[in-house]
Amino acid sequence: MKGLFGDFGGQYVPETLLPALEELDAAMEEAFAEKAFWDEFSSYMVHYVGRPTPLTHAKRLSAHYGCDVWLKREDLNHTGSHKINNAIGQILLASRMGKRRIIAETGAGQHGVATATVCALFGLECHVYMGTVDIARQRMNVERMRLLGAEVVPVEGGTATLKDATSEAIRDWIANVDTTYYLIGSAIGPHPYPTMVREFQAVIGREAKQQIVELSGSLPDAVIACVGGGSNAIGIFSAFLDEAQVELIGVEAYGRGNGQHGASISFGTPGVLHGTRSYLLQDKDGQVLDTHSIAAGLDYPGVGPEHSFLAASRRARYGLVTDDQALTGFRLLNRLEGIAPALESAHAIGYLEQYSREKHGSKVVVNLSGRGDKDLHTVIGD
Amino acid sequence: MIAQAIRNHPRAVIPYVTAGLPDLDSTGRILSALKDAGAAAIEIGIPFSDPMADGPVLQKASHLALQAGFRMDDLFGRLGQWSAKIDIPLIVMSYINPLMRRGLHDTLARLKDGGVKGVIIPDLPVEAKGIHADCAAVGIDLIRLVAPTTVPERTREILAQCGGFVYAVAVKGVTGQRASLPEGLQGQVAFLKANTELPVCVGFGVSKASQVDELLGFADGVIVGSYLMDEVMKASDPAAAAGRALRILVNGVPRSGQG
Repeated sequence: MKGLFGDFGGQYVPETLLPALEELDAAMEEAFAEKAFWDEFSSYMVHYVGRPTPLTHAKRLSAHYGCDVWLKREDLNHTGSHKINNAIGQILLASRMGKRRIIAETGAGQHGVATATVCALFGLECHVYMGTVDIARQRMNVERMRLLGAEVVPVEGGTATLKDATSEAIRDWIANVDTTYYLIGSAIGPHPYPTMVREFQAVIGREAKQQIVELSGSLPDAVIACVGGGSNAIGIFSAFLDEAQVELIGVEAYGRGNGQHGASISFGTPGVLHGTRSYLLQDKDGQVLDTHSIAAGLDYPGVGPEHSFLAASRRARYGLVTDDQALTGFRLLNRLEGIAPALESAHAIGYLEQYSREKHGSKVVVNLSGRGDKDLHTVIGD
Repeated sequence: MIAQAIRNHPRAVIPYVTAGLPDLDSTGRILSALKDAGAAAIEIGIPFSDPMADGPVLQKASHLALQAGFRMDDLFGRLGQWSAKIDIPLIVMSYINPLMRRGLHDTLARLKDGGVKGVIIPDLPVEAKGIHADCAAVGIDLIRLVAPTTVPERTREILAQCGGFVYAVAVKGVTGQRASLPEGLQGQVAFLKANTELPVCVGFGVSKASQVDELLGFADGVIVGSYLMDEVMKASDPAAAAGRALRILVNGVPRSGQG
């Protein structure tokens, strides 16, 4: 089977989609081999997205934790998160393939906004599937998508969150496979998506590696990123995979603890969801379990297959941060650095509490994957 | 055994039933009613939390069955009783995850012990080669799906690893009733029949007796799921409703006036 990361990954989808995945795989391979494709991608990164994003030395946060903390500022990207990197990459691919109708799933709404944005930019039809629970808690992003000309399609099935939005997007794709490009938002799903999304997000890691060496004189001791599906984490990890001395730490959402969380690697077992085999929160019958996280983008029972591989092969380790610890991280970063992180990214900040106790004085790069404007009403509790 | 049952039936209709809706006692009664109504074989659907190839009706059926407390062990406990009583092939349809959760080989062996003759896995591509061997080792037919998007070269690869019958997916899309079926369907079925000894049955989108009549004109069998489950979920007596609905499909559109 194509797209394996050790025992994980693959293409577990209905037969109707297999030819479309082969077409996509071929188009991706062809594009990736062309310098002109990457030149165009880079041009959008610089002139539209606003890259490179800074690497900010968080001095007051460093003093607070007793660690040397550097923040990779994906929150400063156009549309407010790392999701735009992947959306630009995939829309260029969709255009090459002649697809005029774009569909996407979204949890927090960040990927939905990024997709709606690139569809506006390229003049393409856009439909974003979003669970009704997420629509309620991410109202601002819903309105942004509509302003950008996208149709936000409410999904009521199952738990009405990212998992169900993804299933519904796949169902749309099965029905409209000839005309439609499925612009998946994380490093999940069937091959070639996990590889493709990693390659578009790898720009984060390339920049961060160069910046940390330039600014601090050496590689970091650790790179920390939150993991839902895991696209921001795999993007920043990818540049450090071959640097064995750099510890790679993914932070999963521990929610309220007590079984109500989104920590697939920490508590899941291998299973198949949305076309890929990866760690999955499931019961003993293979039914997918309900998840909870205060961060809609981490409220997902699966995880990208490459993270499962990195966990199983021990190249990366995966820690836990609760809703409350993430909120503490959110408030701290506001007060100490003047930065409001997305609640997803606040999990990576929240992990510094545990990390600094273990590794006092270490130098860490934290991927600040998105900004927190969208979460203000959750934090304030309106 | 599955192939034979379809070939020997003058109008082979294969109904699909979601297991455990509203409970397994009812499923048993529905199976008997479907057999009495003239089913050629029956697909028993294992409910799944995330049925990505299913439309609204079968999503709802899955969801309700799980809410009602469906468990795999309870199903395994019933299969033997059902297959002893019902002398047409029982086939299990399941997404891959529930089958793999406790080991694919062991799960297939338990199905075989329960008298199940075949298995259909809608999210299992032909590239997953080990599973064909697992099914062969256990002695259960792996029924493969061919889609309208499947190209000829790939079709041959699928047919080489297919048992029981070939499941021709009628529409590009998920399961569920359609007002009309696509025009290229007859050609698709003809191509399949020219390339396999197995019966070719058509499913996805079929709900009307007139569609069944049309399809049986060129296919060996027809699979009906959403339409039946819709009737089952609406009815106060699910078994009677399932039997009544299937009988209409098996008997076909009356050619002369009936009272």
